[in-house]
Amino acid sequence: MATNKKWPVALMTTSLLAGLLAGCGNNNDAASDSQGAGASGSASTASASSGAAEDLKPITFSFYSEDGNPNWNNMQDDVGKAITAKTGVTLQAEFAVGDPVQKSALIASSGKYPDLISAKNSINKFVDAGAVIDLTDLIDKYGPNIKKVYGDELKRLRYSNDDHAIYVLPTYAGVGQTYFNAGGGFELQHRVVKELGYPQIKTLQDYENAIKTYLEKHPTDENGNKNIGLSLNADDWHMYISVTNPAFFVTGGSDDGEYHIDDDTHKVTYHYLRPEEKEYFRWLNHMNDIGLLDKESFVQKYDQYKAKVASGRVLGLIDQDWDYGDGEKALKAAGKFDQGYGHYSVTLNESIKDRSFQSTGFLGGYGIAISKTNPDPVRAIKFLDYLASDEGQVLVNWGIEGKHYNVENGKRVIPQDINDRKVNDAANFQKETGIGTYTTMGPHYGDGVKDSTGNYYTTNFPEQIEASFNDVEKDVLSHYNAKTWKDLFPNESEFPVKPWGAAWNIPVPSDSEVTVLDEKLKTITWKMIPQAILAKPADFDKVWDDYVAQLEKAGVHKAEELRQQLVEDRIKLWNE
Amino acid sequence: MKAVSEAAVPADVRPAAKRGSRFWTIALRNRYLYLMSLPFVVWVFIFSYYPLWGWLMAFQRFKPGKSILEQQWVGFDQFKTLFRDDTFYLVMRNTLAMSLMSLVAGFATAIVFALLLNELRRMAFKRIVQTISYLPHFVSWTVAASIVTRMLSSDHGVVNDLLMGLGITHEPIQFMANGHLFWGIVTVSDVWKETGWNAIIYLAAISGIGPELYEAAKVDGASRIRQIWHITLPGIRSTIVVLLILSIGHLISIGFEKQFLLGNNLVVDYSQVLDLYSLQYGLQMNRYSFGVAVNMFNSVVSLALLFLANGIFKRTTKESIM
Repeated sequence: MATNKKWPVALMTTSLLAGLLAGCGNNNDAASDSQGAGASGSASTASASSGAAEDLKPITFSFYSEDGNPNWNNMQDDVGKAITAKTGVTLQAEFAVGDPVQKSALIASSGKYPDLISAKNSINKFVDAGAVIDLTDLIDKYGPNIKKVYGDELKRLRYSNDDHAIYVLPTYAGVGQTYFNAGGGFELQHRVVKELGYPQIKTLQDYENAIKTYLEKHPTDENGNKNIGLSLNADDWHMYISVTNPAFFVTGGSDDGEYHIDDDTHKVTYHYLRPEEKEYFRWLNHMNDIGLLDKESFVQKYDQYKAKVASGRVLGLIDQDWDYGDGEKALKAAGKFDQGYGHYSVTLNESIKDRSFQSTGFLGGYGIAISKTNPDPVRAIKFLDYLASDEGQVLVNWGIEGKHYNVENGKRVIPQDINDRKVNDAANFQKETGIGTYTTMGPHYGDGVKDSTGNYYTTNFPEQIEASFNDVEKDVLSHYNAKTWKDLFPNESEFPVKPWGAAWNIPVPSDSEVTVLDEKLKTITWKMIPQAILAKPADFDKVWDDYVAQLEKAGVHKAEELRQQLVEDRIKLWNE
Repeated sequence: MKAVSEAAVPADVRPAAKRGSRFWTIALRNRYLYLMSLPFVVWVFIFSYYPLWGWLMAFQRFKPGKSILEQQWVGFDQFKTLFRDDTFYLVMRNTLAMSLMSLVAGFATAIVFALLLNELRRMAFKRIVQTISYLPHFVSWTVAASIVTRMLSSDHGVVNDLLMGLGITHEPIQFMANGHLFWGIVTVSDVWKETGWNAIIYLAAISGIGPELYEAAKVDGASRIRQIWHITLPGIRSTIVVLLILSIGHLISIGFEKQFLLGNNLVVDYSQVLDLYSLQYGLQMNRYSFGVAVNMFNSVVSLALLFLANGIFKRTTKESIM
């Protein structure tokens, strides 16, 4: 009896112990595994280029990207299978969920690096940790297509003035990119401009009048719900897109993140300190005062904002199409095309030109890096070189010939039924075919560049874009004598190319004071700008003065100086 | 059966052989209990004590990729930066304010709720109420925050519709845009979410009180209120005190989920809390050492609070956890 009683206790104890030990044991195994991989990695680098046959031996690389990819299908899609067939490479991908910067910081400090890393601005953390390798020689030996794609831009790949190594192959920016359509600016629902007889929308006053007149005529929609004049999206980083970036676009500034850089003197200013931007925020304050600005603009969360857009009640937005797109998609799916949005170039007054399309030149920076623990960097670079080849780029952008596109009279054409699925069933289409999934993984040409056969590398070209507009959009565009929304914006040829690229894309050394200063300034700005907009008009100046005083106390001029240095370094690095 | 009855006899009743071997006799007799607790001791060591090694980082300028002993030592620099930062004091104020409010409201509601539930005579009704009341505990803050913001919305939110319908206000109130309301909103949401759950432990304690006490009180003619006051409450006093001491220990580490999800830029002066601060200004900016310094400060203060609370209760109520 006694022994019988003891058995379960003993059993439980041992199993608990065993479980615990097993848990620890696994950890150790994993650690020694990755060490082993590192060691064999250097071995295989030494015995590199050994015959093409061996090159197709299946190999799996782990891949990390800061950008989410909800349609990732573990390379079991058509394009993914084709890539594996051509290169032998399968990617085991991990995408950041939640805050990507935080995830990258964790990976960089953990010491366990994925084989391929695509970490945007966080790459500096990996470089500082010595986690990524210099690609210069690898590109030279194994990357003929990579060299061809980047051409003269290769010098824009260098990391810094002190360190000319190439850690990152830029894969976000397309070489020679031309924009054919506009997705930003100020948005108005098509029903608004239609009702008002397609008025000129060039200044804040025009924009305000359009919303005001329409709202007076139609305070509610056909179901009796209140129409909303203008709603902003201020949830977390969307603040930049919908609230603060428009301030410099409207006042003739170009997108350099939180700073404005003068064309000639290259003088750096925290952009909110430009006097004309104060007038933009004063206008938003006025919009709030007269009840045209959605009262919930600074309180609503992103999903609430999208739901609001999808309800079709919001007449005007100041946002980018990719930011409110989910809401508009719902409207289109419901057939409410006249509640979709057009993009208008709106400025403070008519003498100011919107620089949305000012050219940055080729933007290095964001892209893919190979980690020092990669088991076979040569295979990795060859894989990237394949993606950069003409064959690879066409595969990634167009899909498989005969299945996703046909060649008719030497022209690549997407059959109508395939294109319909691509537009109307986008998510499933991408999951099955993989078209669009691999674009930011390899070096590539931008929209508007043609290959040796005279076809565009990408599927975004004028004819294709014009064909993708719905009838309401076509109708509205025709009334403004435009083929695409971009025609309503000043052309990039009107402005000089920025020799520093874009200030937001300049990596900041991780121990620089700029990081902390920027965070402080951001907190103040994100708090005070909404307060200024929601203040009584009579108090606006007072709130603004308070805002400027807080910025100065937090060291805004120090931040400008440090930023100035970074911009000058960048100009030297990219143009010498 | 013999082994069990033997173990059940208190050790000091049995004749002690020798002073020195007493520990070992007890250990040997309770060997299975010791063995069973071993995994948890190991667990605590690995997850709570072993990482303390990383505290060294707070005195360095840590850069990833190098071992902790190869780093640059900077003494108390990280702490100096921390104590010179205005934001830190703001964040401390918010953290303490919100956790004190939650502590007081959470304790009061849970105890009152448990007492009320205990007085219910219909078992079926009691069970239903209890189940419904602790369900929100299992709803994640992401969802809960969504529900709260939706209810308090000025655009057809339930609360505003109700207030306007009753004629209490004419304009919808901007609940979420008003910093002064933020602490209250967080506390109320917290109470809604956790009251039922927190009451469970008190209900358990109440059910341990012997029915003969109530019967005796009834014979003496005590009313229901007097029974609660003189029997139920004293009966669960030690539970209350232990829980209170433990929660005071957690006063600053309240996490940041609810503040982060309910907050927005307009109320940031009231919504930023210490854990979020250490994340934003530490890890996210690659300032690992600074983040560790913040958390070290956090741990030291928590420990001090715990001992303080424990000491006070030991003196005043003779109840304590140590």
